[in-house]
Amino acid sequence: MKHVKVLILLFVMLMFVVSGILLVSCKDKSMKGMIVFTQVPEYSQYKNYQTGDSWRYVPQARIVALYPDKPTSFRLLTGDFYSARSPEISYDGRFMIFAGQLKQNGLWQIWELEFESMEKRQVTYFQESCIDPAFLPGGRIVFSKSMAFDSTGAGHALHTCNLDGTDVRRITFHPNADFTPTVLSDGRILTISSQIYPEKECPMLMVLRTDGTKYDLYYKDETDELICTRPWESERGNIYFIRSNPVKGETGSIFTIHRNRPLHTCIKLNNEINGSFNAVTPLKSGKLLVSYRSSDNNKYALYEFDTGTGQLGKLIYEDPKYSSMEAVVVEAHQQPRNLPSEVDLQVKTGLLMCQDINIMDEQSMNAVHSQKKASQIEVLGLDASLGIMNVKEDGSFYLKAMADKPFRIRTLDKNGKVISEPCTWIWLRPNERRGCIGCHEDRELVPENRMPLAVKKSPVIIPRHITLAGEKEIELE
Amino acid sequence: MKKVYKIILVFGTILLLGLISYSPLHKLARNHVNYITATEDHPISCNSCHIYNQKSGPVAKLINARYLSPLNLAVSNDGKKLYVVAQEANLLLVVDVNRMKVIKKIRVGNQPHTVILDREERFAYISNQWSDNVMVINLAGYRVTDTLNTGNGPAGLALSADGKSLFVANSYSSDISVLDLQTGEEVKRLNAGNNPAGAQMSPDGKTVLITSRRALIAPYSKPLLTELTVINATTRRVTDHINIESAYMMENVVFTPSGDLALVALVRPKNLIPSIQVEGGWMMTNGIGIIEQIPDGRVVQLLLDEPDAYYADPSDIVVTPDGKKVFVSNSGVDCISVLDMDSIRSILSESTPEMLRTFANHLGVSSRFVIKRIYTGSNPKGISLSPDGKKLYVAEHLQDRIAIINTENLEISGTIDLGGPRRITVARQGRRLLNNAGHTFQNQYSCYTCHPDAHEDGLVYNMASRDMGRNVTNTMSLRDIGEIPPYKWTGKNHSIYKQDGIRFSTVLTRTEPFNPKELDALVAYIITGIPNPPNMMFNPYGRLTEAQSRGKIIFERTHDANGNEIPVSNRCITCHPAPFYTNKKMAYVGTLSETDDSLLFDTPQLNNIFASAPYLHDGRAETLEEIWTKYGQKDKHGVVNDLTKNQLNDLVEYLKSLRDPLYEKRIPEVNRAAFKFN
Repeated sequence: MKHVKVLILLFVMLMFVVSGILLVSCKDKSMKGMIVFTQVPEYSQYKNYQTGDSWRYVPQARIVALYPDKPTSFRLLTGDFYSARSPEISYDGRFMIFAGQLKQNGLWQIWELEFESMEKRQVTYFQESCIDPAFLPGGRIVFSKSMAFDSTGAGHALHTCNLDGTDVRRITFHPNADFTPTVLSDGRILTISSQIYPEKECPMLMVLRTDGTKYDLYYKDETDELICTRPWESERGNIYFIRSNPVKGETGSIFTIHRNRPLHTCIKLNNEINGSFNAVTPLKSGKLLVSYRSSDNNKYALYEFDTGTGQLGKLIYEDPKYSSMEAVVVEAHQQPRNLPSEVDLQVKTGLLMCQDINIMDEQSMNAVHSQKKASQIEVLGLDASLGIMNVKEDGSFYLKAMADKPFRIRTLDKNGKVISEPCTWIWLRPNERRGCIGCHEDRELVPENRMPLAVKKSPVIIPRHITLAGEKEIELE
Repeated sequence: MKKVYKIILVFGTILLLGLISYSPLHKLARNHVNYITATEDHPISCNSCHIYNQKSGPVAKLINARYLSPLNLAVSNDGKKLYVVAQEANLLLVVDVNRMKVIKKIRVGNQPHTVILDREERFAYISNQWSDNVMVINLAGYRVTDTLNTGNGPAGLALSADGKSLFVANSYSSDISVLDLQTGEEVKRLNAGNNPAGAQMSPDGKTVLITSRRALIAPYSKPLLTELTVINATTRRVTDHINIESAYMMENVVFTPSGDLALVALVRPKNLIPSIQVEGGWMMTNGIGIIEQIPDGRVVQLLLDEPDAYYADPSDIVVTPDGKKVFVSNSGVDCISVLDMDSIRSILSESTPEMLRTFANHLGVSSRFVIKRIYTGSNPKGISLSPDGKKLYVAEHLQDRIAIINTENLEISGTIDLGGPRRITVARQGRRLLNNAGHTFQNQYSCYTCHPDAHEDGLVYNMASRDMGRNVTNTMSLRDIGEIPPYKWTGKNHSIYKQDGIRFSTVLTRTEPFNPKELDALVAYIITGIPNPPNMMFNPYGRLTEAQSRGKIIFERTHDANGNEIPVSNRCITCHPAPFYTNKKMAYVGTLSETDDSLLFDTPQLNNIFASAPYLHDGRAETLEEIWTKYGQKDKHGVVNDLTKNQLNDLVEYLKSLRDPLYEKRIPEVNRAAFKFN
């Protein structure tokens, strides 16, 4: 009898354990495989790349989810928000972050949703709006924050923070508007960036490390079309985005570039399809999840897209009242590289070295004001010149600039006449060391193996009136 | 007391004692691991250091394994057999291609390197890099029938058209042995570049090309030049030394079938530029060199890399018999690059000299001629085509396997398991990591790139720690460094863990650091797996020559020529005691330059020092002599100014004789390595 009681007890315990495992695994599967996407009641072709209006800030947007094979599984995830959009799924597939606006005319902040409990948690608490979040490896996120009254003239700047909202760090420092950050597999951040000051420029895809260093051009469109959606990298190294030209009334098309050579591998994928696309996400199968409408009278719906044939596949979801976009799949996915940081916040400056300011690409060569060789550079701050310095006989210069302050460089001849106009805005993070080959050089050039004369001496301190940086000297190694 | 209560009491007491002592013991272990690894989150695992790092003894025998490590191969004339050099196992493997298996293992010398077959396929010649000889193998009976002495470190081989002469690239003595195959004697010794490696006979049998791996030694900031030696095969004389600019690590060379072009695999380092970033090809780029085989022919370099993807450590290169395709093994990224030869010819014919100069530094040009990248097993090295050109065989060096690629559809059609150990040891994983560029940003370079064969590349780099232009440092060897901490010229890193941990990723690789498991593996390999080659050139038998013996006396002296006592701190033997010839301490030897931040430098080891030019922390001394003749005039680096020139020569001869303490032990393998075969 005693034995029987022990056996019964063991059996009951075993059943508890098995049930627990089943329940947990069932819960695990509750959202896995679902497609989460944004719906908006009205979609505007017009996009303000400087302020984000009608593009990033969209009223009455909502985030929903459904299983692609079960339209009846549709569920609203952000019913308690006035507006919410830009969902992104964590690397383990268990969380979602998004930008949400609790009340009309209220601020947008970053929120996190845990799929298992469906509980939401506010991540950011800024006095300005925060949008376009993306997960970073190492337990942090990156997002775009509105920068009213910023000393760098930025419209929206990228920031990172821990998942609990602590340790906020700004990582872009130029008078641009930076939106839709996405993380590449090599660990860098890709962002759509538009210059605001001194002239408004078309948006470009720019890349930078997660600490804000090594900011550089990634892709630039040579036509009138504008990149208008968050770019996404597939497992095979293709980066997908939508380009459109609302001014000409041209609707969105799917484009792809390859990560190995982003500047020169742009291909349009939907050559034979009329209508408009407004979002694209790569799937693990190799196909794409796209947002498409055949005419302006329709709402955008979600489809599969076959990159091989260039044709639309099956319809995933359509809604007569809402346009659907920004679809992502709830699943675990490969985490990008977690890049180390050379930034030291105790250091006030960064270093910049150029091999030869007279190296330019063909386009810039044609645009120079003079065929003379440049022998000086002028460093231009936001409002004033920061100084003029001579370059060495080999065209090299080496400067130390105040960190996190944007500047541009233009080249001058020995008489001070301008030879080439300023480059894009540059900033150096504290303790960053940065090199460039020339001025407006071909981005696919690597440096010649030649010791720049400029580094044989100490760097010139910018602004020129500062003779001693007065900072903690550190050794990187 | 009932028995059961006694048992409970005993176990309970043990548990209690365990709980009490766990916390302090754990803290001790935590502190110990934190110190060794210089981090606070490396998992506490005694195995990492105390098991995996065993170099000898029963534990080492249990945890380590002897792999085959196929390096190069040759294909029989009928395409039915492969002859594979198993470098680590000292074997030549005969592989039946149809049966896809090894049918014969032939024991050869130490660290075999290259195998070639004569035209009639009666004999195979195999160079034994650590035995200083070439073995002749009769292929009818698979027997070694002769052993021919060569210079130091024989590597690449080229057979003359008439089959009577063999050209041998001696990688350590930097010269070329010309062997008469009828007499078995060396009939000529020719000068070559620095660390010659590859050898190739032209299709017309008139020219032999010898590639070099290391650049010619020159003062820092001077342009990098690496020699391609041209030999007239008939007269057996060097007719040209072609200096390939801004490139090195030319492991192999091939001719096009028509013989109008020669192609080499090469690396273009950026050692003269401050090492401040990896993006944009700022550390290394990888490509091919094309040398026109006409008088004053052009030398053109084209990169294999792409703007955001690099193909590190190009090793071997072959051209299909129809001259249409070129295959390059990129051993650092486990891939074979397939190039279109017609596109390369178009580039050569259509481009101006200025354009060609630009292409050598342009990451977009590869899109014009790279057809495909085929991914293989670990560390593909030697490659060889079947006679009909339809199959490419790839020696997967750290996979113990041969991959077979169909050259028409450019897909892997199969693999041949060579029968190496099945389990991958921790040290083997570490070796794979060291040879793979996956842990540098965009795969730009691997540890092997700057430390080929786990040694050093002979270059001086601007590591740019405090400011750019400062801290110019000479690459150090990784051989046998497990017992000689600290590391780095400034001695800042007390363990290999610290050397290769987070700092390594922040300042060098610029990507995600090694995780703890990977770091354990890398450290295990560095500590257990990298011996020095035997010093066959200066001390093959452990018996010093007269000059070396005199030099030893000078090295160990306590008084100068005038009878004055030399201060203990300035005696050679104080800082450089046996067996590694380093006291593992920091020292000031009067070699500080104005761009150095550190006052003191870590005392380097001196074993096999003859193979580590240039010298001193910033590589300023091109030879051992210059350490004193040019940079030791104040007697701060030992007392030498009282010596005569002959005495200094003797000292240098002694230094050259220093060798790995491993070779002082009398074990069969060592003896075989240390003594020349007869």
